[in-house]
Amino acid sequence: MTDQLHTIDGSQGEGGGQILRSSLALALVTGRAVRLENIRAGREKPGLMRQHLTAVRAAVEIGAAEVEGDEIGSQTLSFRPTAIRPCQRTFSVGTAGSATLVLQTILPALLIADGPSEIVLEGGTHNPWAPPYDFLAQSFFPLINRMGPRVSAGLERHGFYPAGGGRFSVAIEPTPQLVGFELLERGEILHRSATALVANLSSRIGRREIEAAAEKLSWPDSAFHVDASIESAGPGNVFLIEIHSEHVREVFTGFGRLGATAERVANEAVKEARSYLAAGVPVGPYLADQLLLPLGIAAWQTGQGGSFATQPLTRHSQTHIDLLRSILEIPISVEREGNCCLVTVGKEMR
Amino acid sequence: MKQVAFGLLGSRLDQSIDDANRWQTWRPSVAICQHEDLLIDQFELIYDAAMARLANGVADDIRSVSPETEVRLHELTFQDPWDFEEVYGGLHAFASAYAFRPESERYLVNITTGTHVQQICLFLLAESGHIPGRLLQASPPRRQQEGQGTYRIIDLDLSRYDQLAARFALEQQESLSFLKSGIQTRNAAFNSLIEQIERVAINSRAPLLITGPTGAGKSQLARRVFELKQQRRQLAGRFVEVNCATLRGDQAMSALFGHEKGAYTGATTKRDGLLRAADGGMLFLDEIGELGLDEQAMLLRAIEEKRFFAVGADREVASDFQLIAGTNRDLQRAVDEGRFREDLLARINLWTFCLPGLAERREDIAPNLEYELTQFSAKTGQVVRMNKEATQRFLQFAETEAAAWRANFRDLNAAVTRMATLAAGGRISIDLVEEEIKRLQTQWRPCVVNQRGRSLHGLVDESQLDNFDRVQLEEVVRVCRQCKTISDAGRKLFAVSRTLKAKPNDADRLRKYLARFDLTWEALNS
Repeated sequence: MTDQLHTIDGSQGEGGGQILRSSLALALVTGRAVRLENIRAGREKPGLMRQHLTAVRAAVEIGAAEVEGDEIGSQTLSFRPTAIRPCQRTFSVGTAGSATLVLQTILPALLIADGPSEIVLEGGTHNPWAPPYDFLAQSFFPLINRMGPRVSAGLERHGFYPAGGGRFSVAIEPTPQLVGFELLERGEILHRSATALVANLSSRIGRREIEAAAEKLSWPDSAFHVDASIESAGPGNVFLIEIHSEHVREVFTGFGRLGATAERVANEAVKEARSYLAAGVPVGPYLADQLLLPLGIAAWQTGQGGSFATQPLTRHSQTHIDLLRSILEIPISVEREGNCCLVTVGKEMR
Repeated sequence: MKQVAFGLLGSRLDQSIDDANRWQTWRPSVAICQHEDLLIDQFELIYDAAMARLANGVADDIRSVSPETEVRLHELTFQDPWDFEEVYGGLHAFASAYAFRPESERYLVNITTGTHVQQICLFLLAESGHIPGRLLQASPPRRQQEGQGTYRIIDLDLSRYDQLAARFALEQQESLSFLKSGIQTRNAAFNSLIEQIERVAINSRAPLLITGPTGAGKSQLARRVFELKQQRRQLAGRFVEVNCATLRGDQAMSALFGHEKGAYTGATTKRDGLLRAADGGMLFLDEIGELGLDEQAMLLRAIEEKRFFAVGADREVASDFQLIAGTNRDLQRAVDEGRFREDLLARINLWTFCLPGLAERREDIAPNLEYELTQFSAKTGQVVRMNKEATQRFLQFAETEAAAWRANFRDLNAAVTRMATLAAGGRISIDLVEEEIKRLQTQWRPCVVNQRGRSLHGLVDESQLDNFDRVQLEEVVRVCRQCKTISDAGRKLFAVSRTLKAKPNDADRLRKYLARFDLTWEALNS
């Protein structure tokens, strides 16, 4: 390994924690040292925050890495991985920060490690601005498993802001090489459901949410559920819409929070689901963002990543694509046609 | 660096009305562990025994929101958490017993919780350095919003704040300028001396000793120090100045310490004495080396105990004053000669400042000349000017070795007074300057010879001697003349280097040294 640091400007594009996490994930996968500058520049509180630091420490652990600048508020970080070490341990995130974001940082490397890992993540499991647990388990992991590894997850306890205290485990059986896929069609919709999860709050909130959703979705009553017996350290509420199709499952989430009515929370999820259904593509915007990294790794390993059809890309995804091109030095093409985008990672498949 | 926080469990703020609602309630002890940009590695949470259940609940919730934080609970019960003495005592004992490791840990003191008295005590402990940390003040989120609210870290080290530091620097500049009577002195050694005096004067009430030749400005400086402290509200009392050389016999005791009516013949009324007059203020004892041994003993007690007996009194009086002593003598030598008490010297020379004579700071003559002229004008109401040519001529003389400035500023003051008085139409001409130079030269001539020849006169031809050798030889001769034998003198003169020699032959070394100047022990002590 050379001492040559790959320097990444953390303020580019969307300029948040995502660049940090993806950069660390890719540094672990490629074994290349990276140096991040201007981390979260321009944010109200710039630099590394506690949840980022937890991700950095987890990456240091997995990569047996040397690190500089791993302090709160630091806007520069140097990270030199020396290995990929499969691991059996627990990572805890404070301030009810999202545990799923920590997973995002270390999962890609663990998918191609030379041994199985079992990790437990503690903290927030259903946080706004982060993929909720249900999305990972229902939507993302099945697609990962299509690429070779076997990832399974189990939720022990929900964790909501502000109390946190959630807990889930992820078991990973890796594969030496990720195999890309093509996901251009959704296929027939097999199953759909809308569920309000309510923890330590009145179940009325859940009922109002499904009522509001039912009005908009005109699905059969059997598709709507309220689960008000959610076990959690503190109060919390999410509204989940799941759409299982022939080739893919999608999950859309509305996050309950102080100051937002139950109807508004439900409608946020409904709006996303309807927009997805109307676009007729298999991959929603959040899933698209998640798929870029594993497909990018497949392309880096074999030359062939894959392609998928999705809705117009978010700024988040655009930043992500730029980062993958820069670190992995792979081609990524995006063709937009109306409300549909065709993303091809790596060389075109036959 | 590990971040450690101290805090009191808030009997009101850390509690919520019911358990289920606690996450909607802003609880400062939990909230400070919820900030994304503040990681508390260890939280020392002090709680009242009656609130053990709450303490454990809060600790559990902190662990949930902040798995990185190790919460350590300390039971500390106050009978009355509003009683200053009890609270301060309890928290002080806690802080004293705590093993601080400032090299590897940083400390925060949460002053958001606890009674106001407890918050004040925490502030005082942080401010006095008993808890070497910064203050943490948390605030709740805005109305109708959830979350951890905000926090502020308050560093009591005022020098860390740019605007305050600038203000203090300005204040210090003003103090320095004040101590120098507004004279823009250029001598680096003198300026740094004044800086030290300023720092000590502002921060200490301990006695100061100002040494230096007569006329160097000891008395003025003492008065300026007093005025500076008065401006800063550090002294409420008066400035009392006395020259010890003027105190003789019974009168000395009585003048200093006062006397009772009828204490001795002629004591028809009670007298308070100067020490009493200086109560709450400053006592400047000039020429302290001239003070008699009895007075020295009384003075020592008065400084140490702040109490003393007036002459003939059977009850002590109290007086708390700051002492500044002045001397142009070598007090250590006076101690050696038994004329000055060693314990008194030890007590007054905690801070010794040696004011250089004018001849040692010739670059300051120009600004002082200007100052003296202004002073003269102010005193007499008559404006006196010195033209450029005259000034140059005066300085040309004054700033070179030709001017001895034996009485230092007194000489300068006298010279200016003479020239200004003689100045026709308020103008000091070059002719007046020339006249004055002649006067000064005449005044100093015999003194120059006298000073130099004092110890070497009749022993060597001084004109053949380097200044370097002259100074050394003078001291050697002085010591030789004090000692009974050459070995004794050698021991004193080679006190350090002799310890490094297996066989110190001090007498031989001294004899060889003297021989370089064609001198013998016998000739010196004949």
